[in-house]
Parts: sequence; structure tokens; C-alpha cells
Amino acid sequence: MPVQKKKVLLAPLDPVHDIGLKMIKRGLEQAGHETLLLPPDYSHEEIIKAIIDNKADVVLVSRTLGYGVAEILGKFIDLAEAAGIRDKVKIGIGGMAIRPELAAELGFDAGFGPGTTVQEALAFVEGREYIPDEVKGKKIKKDITEGYDYTFKNKSIEKLLDSIVDGILDYVSDKTTAAVQRAELRKKILESQNESEKQSLRMEYSKLCDETVRAFYDSGKYREKTRPLSEAELTSLNNYVLEVNSRMNPLKLQHTEENPVVFIQYGTGCPFMDIAHIKSCEAWGADGVVHFDPSWGARTEGFFEGYITHEEDGSVITYENLKGIKDSLSPSTLWQVRAHRGLNTPETVLLAGKIGADLTKINIAYGSLGGGTDPERLTVDAVRAIKYAAEYNMPFDVVTNEELCGVPAFKAFAGMLIVSKLGLRLGGRPILQPLFCYSPEVMVSGQMEDNYVDFNAAKIMCLRNIVNAPIWCGAPIGFLTQTEDRVQSSLMTALHASLASSLGVDAISIASADEAFSGGPISVPARIDTLRATQSAFRFFGKSDIVPTKFAETWAREIESGIETVLESVAKNGNFVDALYKGLLGSREEGAYPGRAGSGTVIKK
Amino acid sequence: MSAVMEKVMDAVDLETFLVCKDEEEGKKLSLQLMEDLGFKDVSIVFIQHQGPGARVRLRGYVYKPGDRYGWLKKE
Repeated sequence: MPVQKKKVLLAPLDPVHDIGLKMIKRGLEQAGHETLLLPPDYSHEEIIKAIIDNKADVVLVSRTLGYGVAEILGKFIDLAEAAGIRDKVKIGIGGMAIRPELAAELGFDAGFGPGTTVQEALAFVEGREYIPDEVKGKKIKKDITEGYDYTFKNKSIEKLLDSIVDGILDYVSDKTTAAVQRAELRKKILESQNESEKQSLRMEYSKLCDETVRAFYDSGKYREKTRPLSEAELTSLNNYVLEVNSRMNPLKLQHTEENPVVFIQYGTGCPFMDIAHIKSCEAWGADGVVHFDPSWGARTEGFFEGYITHEEDGSVITYENLKGIKDSLSPSTLWQVRAHRGLNTPETVLLAGKIGADLTKINIAYGSLGGGTDPERLTVDAVRAIKYAAEYNMPFDVVTNEELCGVPAFKAFAGMLIVSKLGLRLGGRPILQPLFCYSPEVMVSGQMEDNYVDFNAAKIMCLRNIVNAPIWCGAPIGFLTQTEDRVQSSLMTALHASLASSLGVDAISIASADEAFSGGPISVPARIDTLRATQSAFRFFGKSDIVPTKFAETWAREIESGIETVLESVAKNGNFVDALYKGLLGSREEGAYPGRAGSGTVIKK
Repeated sequence: MSAVMEKVMDAVDLETFLVCKDEEEGKKLSLQLMEDLGFKDVSIVFIQHQGPGARVRLRGYVYKPGDRYGWLKKE
């Protein structure tokens, strides 16, 4: 049915503010309605007279100033009544000072608060229900790796990587570890339908674990500072999630299609608090969430079972904890479970895959040089982990966190590219994750003395010159530029997000405004601060670019050349694991120490 | 704990500007302020003193991870 054209009078009941009405006027005219916009600062009586003289069907009044708003608007409605037009004319009120409840209380037909769209006002004028543009606003889970074919533009780097990967696969072919065996047992436990078989598999599993984990399987003893969650707590949580999901209408952070997807990292220690943080972040626009496990988890052989809470940072990995978190997520939320360090890498990836994680994280170089795990052990474990990632169709990022130890970017990138090429060979889909931060390397060498733009840009330009692969800046962006001041911290995050977007990366991980605060857990408001800041920054820059200086290109070439030199030395060395011990991918002098956890535990098949 | 405080997801942040002579005094005043308001688990997240006083961000934790959260209770 065609919409009946209306005569709409727009009246700013303010001394100066009428921008909102001008926007609505344009929208109404585009929809074919006749409009008349009164100048600001008309008296109530003048507006009423204009309504009568122009025979308006609908009146939209705006009020921005909050002072005395109820009295002023109440008087306007009283005058409309007295003039006999109240029942003949539809009157809506909008503006910064307006809330729908106030409008209804005062007798207006509708009230439009801050954030009202032109479409809402149009629906009111046309007397129909406002239905938001669901398709435009709807969040869709994005595949970060889509559109990348992993073609190497730098063929000499590719050749070196192939030779190193051949060596890794040959090295691990006759080796296994307790972690690989536990992952195989866990798979059987999860797939078994028979309780007594499960129990006997558990006993077998416990023999491959540390004492603390074995004590759990043998006598039900929990590790210190952990406890099982009660049935009542779990019921409350389920109710909470159901209730929250029923009122979720997540914001979208991206302003243009070019803006990257935004991840936050959680790991409060408690799966309930994690879920509370995740739901809040989803509501405020986070596209993805990254699971952080406790640091002791990386040094412990074996996983516990059940719903377990933890009093310190990092949320304990169990099948049940991860499943509970996964089940609470919105359908559009990307979920990553990290497996880039530690003694449970294959099982972590297996659990993530079984439960339906979208992404995981694996890096032998970082995990063994900055993450504390023995290089040989992690190499054997990581190859199995990558195979699981490929089996469960989970792309994995290869993060260069060893940069935070002091390893220069070119060495860390060499390690990242080796693991990425290994991933490709094993059928995986790696994502490059360069740090996007104020790293020790630049603190010492001075590349960020003038700005934080050039060196970060150089890293991305360098990687783009080498290979056509997805890039996810981590983790978190702006690390070591944030202070405890939430405004400064949020601003730094937002600026780094904008730079990453300008460089065309696919994803970013952002911190909360509590990033630099170490005196207690991260709070939910601090998470929302940086999400809001990032959203505003994306809005501010739109499709415009941040232009680095000429140093970015120079440094990009230097990093690329440095990577090639490192790869030549690793290839010449002939053994990747040995190269890690020798410091070819990051030396002790640079702050990289080969990890000791799991040392001497690799088993010859 | 009051019914309203039970609805706080994790912490209450209080941001203000305290008139004081230096950062040390600012810290003392900050802790006193949070104690006066009844917070038990208090942190000074941010403090910076310049000239007339200190810009502060103070935090009172209501719930920390692993606690039994009031907002999870059924109404």
C-alpha cells in the first residue's frame, strides 16, 4: 500500500540546536514528504501558530538542552491542547535531553533519545513500526583467512623455508611425547560411549601426568587456588546466559568493510567471570574472544576435568570449562583457544577442535624461546598440534611474542614464517601475528623515537612483500604504550587500531584500559572503554589512511633482508631444534632463553 | 552487602581530582576516601599529581574471580 504523504513541521525548541532536525528533514523529503523547518529560538506560541497556519499533519520538536526540559515541554503540550490541535496533529519530541519515558509522561506521541536514526523518525511520521535494518547491522562471523592463497612473493625466502620445514618433519618423524599420547587418549575418552572404558582410559591418562594432576584422577584432589563449581552455581550461570542472550543486540565496531575484526582476550581465572566479560564485550562490539589459560598450566603435564574455577589470572583448560564458554557465545563470535606454549599443546588444540573453536594459536619459536617450553619438546608437540588444527579446520595464528623478550622483529618473523610454512605443509591455515607495539628492540634502537607509526607499518609492509597471508596484529596492539590512565590507555589502543586498519590487516587483538594496571583483575568497564574508543577511531578515520614516513619502507626492506639472513643461517645449521638452542632465532643476549619445561621428555618411537 | 552492590559485575571505579600537595598525600586521601565509602578491597589504579592536586582513578573490587557473585542469584 502506498504511504500517504504527510506535511511535517520541524521545530527546534532550542536557542541554536537544529542539526538533528535538518538530517531528519532531508530523510523525510527523500521519502516524498513535505517539510517545513522553523528557525531556532521560536517561542512556544510561534510554533503552535506555525502548526495551525501550515496545517501540519505531524510535528517533530527537538530539544537538546537538558535544563528545565520537563517544564518547557510540558508547557508546549499544554498550549497545543489549549489551541485545540493536540488530537489532530501527531507530535514527537527528540534530542539529547529526551528519553522515551519522559516524552510519554508529558503526553507526546513519541520520544526519540540520543542515537535515534532518521529511519526511526520516518517510521513515526508514516505511522508504522520501526524495524531496524537487520542485514546492515547484523554481525556475521568472519573467516580471517578467506581470500589468501599463501603465495610467496619472495621466492628465495620460500625456498629456505621449504628446506627448514623438510628438516623439521624429518626430525619429528621418529619421536613422540607424553603430551601427544595424552591427546590421543583424550580423544578416545571423548569419543567413547562406555563409562568403564572411559574410566580405564582416564587411569592410563593420569599415568602420563604430573603429580598434581595425577592426584586429581587418583583421589579427586584439586590444585591449590582452584575449586569445582557447584551445581547451584552452574544453574545460575545457565540462567544468566539465557537471560542475557535474550536481550543481546550487539554493537558493531567497524565503520567500513576495511576495518579489521577485533578480538579481546579473557582469562579471569573463573569461567563465570569469563562469560560475564565475554557477554559484555560481545554486547559492546567485540568480534572475537581469546582464551587465556593460567601460566602454571603451561608447565603442568596434563589437564584436569570438570568445571573448575581459579583464584588467579588464567582460566583452567578442561573440556567442561571450554564447552561452557563456547555454549555461551553469540553465533557471530570468533573463539580462539591458545596453544602456543606449554606442555599440553596437542591436547589443547584437540579440545578446542572437538568443542568447535574457530581458531587456535601455535608458535614453536615463541613458545620455546619466550614461553618457557623446551624447544625439542615443543617442536614434536607443535607438529601434532598443527595436524589437529588442520583436522578440525581451525586456522591458527603464529604470534611473535618473543619480541617482548627483546628479540628483534626480523628474527621473530623468521620463526613465525618457519612455523607458518610448516602449517601450510601440514594442511593448516596459518595467520601471521606480528606484534604491533612498543617493543624492547625499538626502545633500544630508537625506531619509535619520533612516532609509533613507521616501525609498525614497516612490519606489515615487510610481511606483505613476502607472502600473501592473513595478518592479525597482536597481542594486544599498542602494548607498552598504555598507562594506567584509562583515557590515555584507550586512546593508544584506538590509534593503534586505526593504524592497523589503515595498513589493511585482517584482525587485531585489543587490550582493556586496565592493560598497564597490575594491582588486580581487569574490570568490565575497562574492557568497554577500549571497545568504545576503537569504534570511535574507526568512525573517525573511515576509509582514509594514516601515511607513514619514508622510514617505514626502508625498515620494511631491512626487516625482509634480516629475515632472509636468519633463515639462511637456520637452513645452513641443518636442524631447526638445534638452531633454537643455539639462539639463531633469538639469542640469550637478546633476552630469548630456550625453555626448560619438558626438557628431556621426548620419546623415540 | 547492599542489593545494589550485588549488581556490580566486578568493581566500582571512582574518578576524581583531589586537592593535595603531592602524590603521597593524594594516595593517602584516595585510600581514606574509599574506606569512608565502605570499600574493603581497594586499589589506586591511576594517580598523577600536577600543581593543584592529583587526578585519581580508584577502584573498589566488589567481586573478584572465583567469588560467589550476587548478580548470578535468581531474582
